[in-house]
Parts: sequence; C-alpha cells; structure tokens
Amino acid sequence: MNAAIALIISFPAVLLISLLFEGIDRKLHARMQKRIGPPVIQPFYDLIKLFNKGRVIPLTASVRVFEIMPMIAAAVSLLGASILLSGILFGLSMIGDLIVVMYLLAMSSIALMVGGSASGNPYSAIGFSRKMSMMIAYEVPMFIAVISVAFGSTPSLAIDRIIKFQANLGLPLAASRPSMSLAAAAFLLCMPAASSAIPFDIPEAKTEIIYGLLVEYCGPYLALAKIAKAASNFALTLLASIVFLYIPSLLWENAPLNSGISLSLCLTTALLIMFTTMTVPRTILARLKIGQALKFYWMVPLTLSLSSIILSAAGL
Amino acid sequence: MVVERNVEKEVEVEYARLRIPFGPVHPALKEPVSLRVSVRGEEVIDVDMVLGHVHRGIEALAEGRNLIQTLYLIERICGICSHSHTTCFIQALEEIGGIAPSERALYLRTLIFEMERIHSHLLLLGVMAYEIGFDTLFMFIWHVREKILDLFEKITGNRIHHAMNTIGGVRWNLTPQIASEINSCMKEMEKAVKYVRDIFTDGTVEKRICGLGVLDYSEALKLCVVGPTARGSGVDIDVRRDHPYAAYNDLKGNFSVITRRDGDVHARIEVRVLEIFESINIIRAILEKLPEGPIRPEENVLRLMRRIPEGEAVSLVEAPRGELFYFVKTDGKGGLRRLKVRTPTFSNLIGLKSMLLGCEIADIPVIVASIDPCLSCTNRVTIVDQRSGESKVVSLDALRRVVREK
Repeated sequence: MNAAIALIISFPAVLLISLLFEGIDRKLHARMQKRIGPPVIQPFYDLIKLFNKGRVIPLTASVRVFEIMPMIAAAVSLLGASILLSGILFGLSMIGDLIVVMYLLAMSSIALMVGGSASGNPYSAIGFSRKMSMMIAYEVPMFIAVISVAFGSTPSLAIDRIIKFQANLGLPLAASRPSMSLAAAAFLLCMPAASSAIPFDIPEAKTEIIYGLLVEYCGPYLALAKIAKAASNFALTLLASIVFLYIPSLLWENAPLNSGISLSLCLTTALLIMFTTMTVPRTILARLKIGQALKFYWMVPLTLSLSSIILSAAGL
Repeated sequence: MVVERNVEKEVEVEYARLRIPFGPVHPALKEPVSLRVSVRGEEVIDVDMVLGHVHRGIEALAEGRNLIQTLYLIERICGICSHSHTTCFIQALEEIGGIAPSERALYLRTLIFEMERIHSHLLLLGVMAYEIGFDTLFMFIWHVREKILDLFEKITGNRIHHAMNTIGGVRWNLTPQIASEINSCMKEMEKAVKYVRDIFTDGTVEKRICGLGVLDYSEALKLCVVGPTARGSGVDIDVRRDHPYAAYNDLKGNFSVITRRDGDVHARIEVRVLEIFESINIIRAILEKLPEGPIRPEENVLRLMRRIPEGEAVSLVEAPRGELFYFVKTDGKGGLRRLKVRTPTFSNLIGLKSMLLGCEIADIPVIVASIDPCLSCTNRVTIVDQRSGESKVVSLDALRRVVREK
C-alpha cells in the first residue's frame, strides 16, 4: 500500500524533473551553438500549448491503436522513472525492479513504434523499421550490461540492494572493478541511442523522414509522446547515476539511503550524465546512417558488455 | 481526402516497393519540389520528379512592363542570386543599346557578384550541414554568412535584393571606409571558411557525404550540368573564364577554376568551399585595382531606357549555381517582346535522377541539396495534374482567364 502511495506521489515529481532536464538540455545545446536558446521551462510551455490544440487523426490510421499508444508510452515511462525516484526517496524496492524498469523503458519505445506505424503514413513505416533495427542494436548491449551489474553486485536485481552494496563498498560501482567499469561504459554508450539523440536520431531524422514515427502525431498525442520521451530519458540517466555512479557512497561511510542530500547528489550526477551522453554528442556530431549505427553498436558496446560479463564471471 | 485513401491502397499493394512522397513539403527542402521515390527497404529504386509548385509567371509578367520595372521584377526571381539575374539582364540591355558602363561600375558589379557567391555558397554549406543532422555546423556557417549580409546592407542598403545594377552602371558607390571594412571582413571570412573546410573533412561528416550521389565525367557532359555540379564531376567550365563579362577579363590572373574528379557529394561541397577562397581573392584584387571614375551615366535612366532600340541579345553569367542564361528581345519602345531565362538549377536537376538511383533514403536530402537546387528560379509554365498524372502546358490566355476570374 505504502509503495503505491509513494509511486503516486513521485509521478508529478518525475514529470516536473524530466521536463526540467529537457529544458536544461535544450538551453545547453543552444549555448554551445552560440544561440540564446529557449528558457529552461520551455518544455512546459510546449506541453501546455500542445494539450490545448485540436486532435487530428489521419484517415488512414487505425484509430484506437493510434490514440491509445501515446498514453501507454507516457504512462509506462513515467512509471519507470517513478520506480527509480521513489526507490531513492523512500527506500522502496522490490525483487527484480531493475529488470522492471528496463522493461518499462523498452515498452515505452515499442508503444510509440506501434502507435506511429498505425498512422498509415509511409514515413512512419520507415521510422518503424529503423527504430526496430536501432532497438536491436542498443537494447542487447544495454541488457547485457545490466545483467553483468546484477552478477557483479551482491548478486541482486533489486535496486536498493545495489545501492546499499555501493554504500557499504564506499565506491561507485563503476569504479569498483574492471568488469563493472566496462559495463558502465557499455551502458553509457547506449544512452544516446536509447534517447534517440543525434547522432542516433535515425528513427526520427527530421530532414530524412520528417520525425518518422511521430509524423502524424499532433496536439495532445504529440504532448504525450514528448512526455514519454522526456521521462524515459530522465529514467535512463537516473538509472545510470544510481546503479553505476552512486556518488553519495564516496562521501560517507554507509551513506544514508533516503535523504534529500543523496537524492540531490544523484540528480546532479544524472544531469551530468545527460550532458555528456546526450547534449554533447548531439552538438558535436552529425547524424549517422542506420548501417553505420548498427555497426558501431555491434562493434563497441556489445564487445564491452560481453567482456564485462566474462570478466565478472571470472571474478574480476 | 480522397487522395489520401488512394495513397494507402498503393502502400498496401506494393508491399515490397514503398512509394514515398519526398516533398513538395518536406523539412529538408528549402523550396517545393516533389520527388516520388520508390524504395525497397532503405534502397532507392526509382525516382520521379514533379516541378511547378512555385511557378509565378515572371517571364509573362516581364513582357507587360517597361525595362526598368522588369529590372526590379527579375531581381525577385531568386532571393539568393538576385544580383546574377540583374547583371545578366542588364548586360543584354547594354549590348542592345550600345551602352558601355564605366570601368569602376564593372568592378563594383563584380565585387557584389563575388560577395553574392560567398553568401550563396555559405548558405548551401549550412543547409548541407543541416541535412546531415549537424545543427551546430549549420548555426556556425549561417552566423558567418551574416557578416556578408551586413556588408551588403552597408554598401547597397539591402541585405538580399541589392538593387545594385542600373542601365549603364551601378547605383551605389564604394567609400574608402567600407572598402577597409570589406578587407577586414574578408580576413575573418578566410579564417572561418578554413575552419569549415576542416570540419567538412572530419570523420563524422565524411561518413555521410563521401562516395554518395556519384555523377561521373561522361554522364555530366551528356546531361549538360553546369556550375559547381559540373566542376565536381571534372568538367572544366566556368563562364567567368570562358566568356569573361563585367571585370573578369582584367581579373583573370586572380582566380582559378576549381575542379574535382570524384563527382560525389563531397567533391561538389569541396568545390564550393574552395570557390569561396577564390572569391575572397577576387574581392581583394578588386579592392586593390578599383579604378576611379563615374559609376553611372549622367543621363536619366528613363531616358536611357527609351533610347534602347529594338533588338535581341543573349547574355551569360556564372551565377553561384552555374551558368545563367538570358535571352532578351526588346520592342524599341522601352518594353520587352520576349524574355527567356534559363537558370542553372534547371540544367542541374536533370542530373539528380542518376545521382539518386541506388542510394539510401537517408542520402536523398543530402544528394538533393548537393546540387544546390533553387527551385523558384526554375519553375516554368508546365502544370502537372497530380491525380491523373497528366501534364499540360498552360497558355498565357488561360493564365489571364484565371487571373480575371479572381
């Protein structure tokens, strides 16, 4: 019961923070391009405007699927982020919630894929096939990295056990052993693709396929899709920050779990991770083609995560 | 609405061959053109092109106006190479009327011409960066381009439509202060463009532009492409050198014609980047050599216009996109009997199909942008009915009828 209440409380908090994160990302991106950029709360303005717009559903769409999928996408990615946040705030955790969060985040992408391709637009069809290839490219190394973490810490799949493990160790997991560093590197390399930022925004490349899956979405549906994206980006960065780089563990012996300070430290780390894995790449790189992206993901992060699992099995 | 239903059916029937409408409204296109692309997976297997979305009937409009009005009208054919159009037109008029502009006027024309080339090439390089998803480079290049536009404003009072040319000369003189400003701007420009050149040879950019949209030498010759598109395929043509106009005869030693053999997108971009350096050289030479003298005849321009006899002339200039052709036939009463404009994009669009076949969907915008299409210049009187696929040419009378009905 408590868990349910905590989750419900953290829902609006997650929405707020994830949109702020998006705003900060846009501002930093603009500053690096010598632009003034939008105000940090621009995503809120965008959402308010989008929710007030009319709904347009293309004639070719299968209406139910097209309407429901953005809602599912927004709901599951918000839920995934709230599980993480309430995990830090209230120390709530359950067996296997690491897998649940990863599943919810993948689910949100899949929901958008299904909804977008239900629009009947040929660009969405291309976006669908590209997103499919991209998910195969980044989800595999990402999951292997997570599994390697689960083996490498206690072993456990519960997030609070992993946090406690780091707190007892007095070190973030990524710095504890070579296998964990490799897993962290693989996970972080997968982040730009998971957040579909340039250079891996291939499924929604606007100059090529006009936002692909999102091409027919407008008004409230687009707002929901944007929430889904912002929340899942936030969840990814937060996950990376608490599983791999739990900074509070450096500061105190047996760092307190559910305090405001450790939460704010985690959020700062998450912000830094977002800056390095999403904002900087999308500022300094050009978009790759789908074949090039696949090649990169199968060559580098997959090798890293596989070697991490082998090392971790060898006890390193 | 009916049309959308039809599209759905096509998609369902041709399952392996998806037909996607690339344009007329597409974020990658600055101006409307419609490419109907058939793809299998990511590979492009057929391309069909439809033009005519921005036809404005400028040639017909010009025939109902006097020469000075036409001069300002044709400046609006293109928002990027407006000075090329007026220069080409005014050259034909001066040829018919036997008017020789002063040396200084010719040099000033050339100065604006080369500045326009820099601004047009920078615009394209920015668009190119945008097409490959490199927004930062796009912002940087257009930031640099602003400096040239500011210079235009200082010299002529306008950023885009400079209205520099007039019969027998130019309308604005160059003060020594502005000349020194141009000099210092060229210094900055050289530095910035060197930086841009380095980025375009960077690995992440090269991955997207090398070996793409190849148009080989023989194909380029056969299709009669012009300008940087031809020079990127190794065809060594440049109106500035082959048929010198304005002050280019004196400036022959100050620039060289850049050609590349590869014929891919990268070659076309490289040609443009290097041409910016050549343009900077020309501008420096102009500022050095600029002769003294009047910039236009004392006589009133309307009187000059009425003195132009009946006659016809052909004029050529090297616009930023390639050879621009004008055929002008005057009626001897200050008006035009016929005006024919053939823009460089018209020649280059033909090459597009052979560049696009076999590429990936991701490459379409990059290849289309690499010929620097300027479609508002190109559109002529053919109307294509998209539903039935019929094309018909609309006569002037029919156009007039439509206008009167409105």
